[in-house]
Amino acid sequence: MSLSPHDDLVLLVRDPIAADALIRHVRQAEDGAVVTFDGCVRNHSHGRRTLYLEYEAYESMALEKMREIAASLHTLFAIDGVAIAHRLGRLEIGETSVFIAVSSPHRKAAFEACRHAIDTLKKTVPIWKKEYFEDGAVWADGELPPVPAATPAAKPAS
Amino acid sequence: MQTRVLFFGKLKEIIGGAEQSVDLRSGATIADLFDRFAHEAPALASFRSSVVASRNQEFAPWTTVLEPGDEVAFLPPVSGG
Repeated sequence: MSLSPHDDLVLLVRDPIAADALIRHVRQAEDGAVVTFDGCVRNHSHGRRTLYLEYEAYESMALEKMREIAASLHTLFAIDGVAIAHRLGRLEIGETSVFIAVSSPHRKAAFEACRHAIDTLKKTVPIWKKEYFEDGAVWADGELPPVPAATPAAKPAS
Repeated sequence: MQTRVLFFGKLKEIIGGAEQSVDLRSGATIADLFDRFAHEAPALASFRSSVVASRNQEFAPWTTVLEPGDEVAFLPPVSGG
């Protein structure tokens, strides 16, 4: 659990995500909207029947990247609060793997910020999912995060 | 110098462990570190173009020169959400 300067909440959890608590965390008297994203485990993948998923993370870096996403939402959108939780370990079909709640005085900013948060999370947060099928298991196709270009400081002249 | 190296996802399965500590020469880069593991586990080499690295929990280019005590991780394409 981690609180940012904006009182945002980012979490990696092994038990079911307490979505109500995340919503309560972001919902303040000045808000007119809370938009949430509930990412849940689907029962099929590429035409195969999924039995369950296992998630793992580079936990310290994942939390830092989730904090960066929350902070960026405040600079990009007129929002109030952000809460992001991702679950790790074995997840059954239908369970919530990621939950995001964004509050704002007006709904448009919360919708846009919530969409931006999940899209960015899927590209930049070091979390991996293994899909288990009746006849085996595979690591899910993913996205390669963007890496900053080499700088002179990173490659000193010799 | 001692460097802590972490592997995740399918890379962890290839290496057979999540964490290693290696002794590197001064001036070694992240690419040098990866090549050293790929030499020991040739299956790793084929993933070079679909792996990114981090140094001290920030994404870092392959040319990054490592410092004593750095923590480097090799990360396959991420698939959270």
